[in-house]
Amino acid sequence: MDFFISLVIAGACVGSVYALVAVGLNLTFWTTKTLHFGQGAVMMLSAMSTALLVRHGFSEIVSILLALALVGLMGVVVERIAIRPALKTTGSMGWVIATLGFGIVIQGITARFFGSQAVAFPEVLFKVQDAVVIGGQNVSMQYLAVFCISVLLIVVLETLTRRTVLGTAIQGIAQDIELAVVQGLPVNLIVSGSFFLSSVLAGIAGILVAQIGGTVDPAFGFELVLSGFVAAVLGGMGSSAGALLGGIILGITSKLVGGYISTAAEHGIAFALLVLMLALRPQGFFGRAEVNKA
Amino acid sequence: MNEIRERLTKLINNKYAQICLVVGLLFGSSYMQGGTVQILSFALVSILFTQSIYILTGMTGQISLGHAAFFGVGAYGTAILTKTLGLSLLVSIPLAGVLASLVAFILSYPAGRVKEVYLAMMTLGFGQIFLEVAREWTSLTGGVMGLSGVPSASLGTLVILGAKLTTVDYFRGLLLITVCAVFFVRNFSQSRIGRSLFIVHNSELAAGSVGIERGRTKQLAYALSGLFAGFAGAFYAHLVGYLGPDSFTVTRSIEVLVIAIVGGLWSIGGQIISAIFFTLLPEQLQVFTQYQFIVYGLILTFTLILLRQGIGGLLFASPRFIRPHLRAQAKRQTISSEFLRSNANPTQISVKNITMKFGGLVAVDNVSIDIPAHRITALVGPNGSGKSTLVNLISGVFPPTAGQVFLNDVEVTGRSDVAMAKLGIIRTFQDPRLVPHFTVRENILLGAHAKMTYGWFEAGVGLPRASQQERLALQQCDSIIELLEIADVADQAVESLPYGYRRMTEIGRALMAGPKAILLDEPAAGLSDVEMSRLAEVLKNLKSFGITILLIEHHMDFLTDLVDEVVVLDSGSILFRGSMLEMRKDAGVITAYLGVEGVEHA
Repeated sequence: MDFFISLVIAGACVGSVYALVAVGLNLTFWTTKTLHFGQGAVMMLSAMSTALLVRHGFSEIVSILLALALVGLMGVVVERIAIRPALKTTGSMGWVIATLGFGIVIQGITARFFGSQAVAFPEVLFKVQDAVVIGGQNVSMQYLAVFCISVLLIVVLETLTRRTVLGTAIQGIAQDIELAVVQGLPVNLIVSGSFFLSSVLAGIAGILVAQIGGTVDPAFGFELVLSGFVAAVLGGMGSSAGALLGGIILGITSKLVGGYISTAAEHGIAFALLVLMLALRPQGFFGRAEVNKA
Repeated sequence: MNEIRERLTKLINNKYAQICLVVGLLFGSSYMQGGTVQILSFALVSILFTQSIYILTGMTGQISLGHAAFFGVGAYGTAILTKTLGLSLLVSIPLAGVLASLVAFILSYPAGRVKEVYLAMMTLGFGQIFLEVAREWTSLTGGVMGLSGVPSASLGTLVILGAKLTTVDYFRGLLLITVCAVFFVRNFSQSRIGRSLFIVHNSELAAGSVGIERGRTKQLAYALSGLFAGFAGAFYAHLVGYLGPDSFTVTRSIEVLVIAIVGGLWSIGGQIISAIFFTLLPEQLQVFTQYQFIVYGLILTFTLILLRQGIGGLLFASPRFIRPHLRAQAKRQTISSEFLRSNANPTQISVKNITMKFGGLVAVDNVSIDIPAHRITALVGPNGSGKSTLVNLISGVFPPTAGQVFLNDVEVTGRSDVAMAKLGIIRTFQDPRLVPHFTVRENILLGAHAKMTYGWFEAGVGLPRASQQERLALQQCDSIIELLEIADVADQAVESLPYGYRRMTEIGRALMAGPKAILLDEPAAGLSDVEMSRLAEVLKNLKSFGITILLIEHHMDFLTDLVDEVVVLDSGSILFRGSMLEMRKDAGVITAYLGVEGVEHA
């Protein structure tokens, strides 16, 4: 039973990070109906640069802020050079390929100049051995902090989109981008902003995962972004609450499968869930099917 | 530049040049160094693999980020069959291809339900599942340690029918098979089925309107794509002699996509050059391997934006999708447009008490009309009055909420658009839905899809039945082009043509389907006066052939001398039906449609 509970707790924590990634994906999905396929590289870049900056003597908080600023900027750049021109000319194939390529470039550059070896990630949030006892269980403080930060960020973001003018503007763009342009909304700015924020969220997720795992390497973000996408699809693309639940379901399921069936299946289960979900209920648990008038 | 392109295209399509190249390689390989032969063999595997992307992504527009899985199924398939079961290569390679094809076919079911981002993610996930299986099913695949000792020419362990094969022998066999595969795929792309993949890619609705079954078409594309990827993987296995899961990661999926995109998604020739380039480059330029990822990434980021048609678009004229020799043969004989008459046994379309609701919106409200044969019926009404919805209901785009549709008293309510098209009810769309990079002729020929019956294999091999049907369709196509008076632009890509020609092309496609009844959604919109009078002539001709005609139109002057009866819809209900003359006097119509003061509604 203890084993079960510890798996559930670990799963929920990791899952909350998936949810954070999913919410980041949702953001750009709202504004442009696109995703940054290279988001995995973004996560890697933020964790990697944090680790390297700390190693070069910067304080932890400065390192993190610099890293997040860097990836945020990358988000804006990718929208400008890869997504915007592709949307104009080639339909969906264009931007899927272009953002994928952008991610590979980042990954390639990192691997080329910093080596493809794993880099140790500094202990930013608590120490590995820090733990509290909850319900008779030893729970790692790092896991707990990761969970709290992720959930808090998602809640704050959700509140912002519901309660503020900016949030309303984003929702307006999500409904009908052309109408938003006509209404005089600074659409380009908001789109850029959504990519900035999306990348920052991915960056935070990268740092959190690196904190739990202890290391980061150039290939590190790939499965993470897939897991984030699975979380988004489980919950229904575009829904923050769905993403949170989807992420946690995914996290717990894969930990349980890993714990009781085989660690090998732990990775596979996410993809199996993805294929199944897309096949059976593409709109997710919480999304509604789109009504199309042909 | 265009002239250079034309010349290069002629050169690569020249039979003798092709034969010289192949024969040269066959004999030349004896004089090459072992390493060179090996690299050329890798290039051939790459060309084979690229064919599978050409079919799935180039033709059908289905993105795949997990193609390494099909490649891997083929590779592990033949390796296991030969190594553990001791089967001969002659059996194991075909079996491995079929196995990969089967896996792709199964994947096509979930994949057929999703599009774009979801499809990209699903295929990416599928590739990862395969990788996990290859890593973990140690008893079958050797797990992370891999599978060594696969019969291979370079190890001297490859034996076929008792003869030991050298790397040169293997290269020669692979060369012949690759050449066959490339010609197969080219012929396939120039067939009814190949063309249907393109229209499914560009507009599923348009595909359905001429009786092309979208789901089955996509499944075929997946299965064929899997087949070629599986073959490529199988030949790869016997080339290297060792298989590890690391050879089948997402990197390989991306690599083949890079090759296809750089070559040009629609250009087999460009893809072959690209495949050779990307195989030789890392070998010749050691430094490239260090920057491989960065280069691939940059290519992916910018190629589709900057050089949409890749090397193929740069070097060669756009590929065509009709076999040139069949076109030449068809030209020798002309047939008259009278063939349209033979299809058209008089068909009356009747709708009874039909209603269509979208959520709370009632688009068509309890409408009953008969659309008789030998007449032209017009459907008019303000925007949003339900005209297009009615056409969608009759043509089977969606089933009605309530009510019935009959063809000559046979109930056809709720049949799909494909089924209706096969019954001879053919429609056009408010904005023409064509394959933009197809010529007028190729687009029109799409209409003949359901009339022809030859299959993918006949198409690829170019069997007589396929050629015969194509020839007949091409002759009919010629007479339709003649009838529509668009012969001077027939061989230009529709994306380069003015709007009026696109409309005419779509009408041509509808005629090509051999319609009993034809439903035209605003055929005159955007036409010049000259084009409009030509359209009117065509419609009168069709009427005399006995084709039932229904047209939605706003242009009253166009309708005046043309139509036998006009039906006015308003807010989903019939407001008036009768002659044009009476309609102009009808008080209700004037209020609803022409405006109270008699000012024409825009």
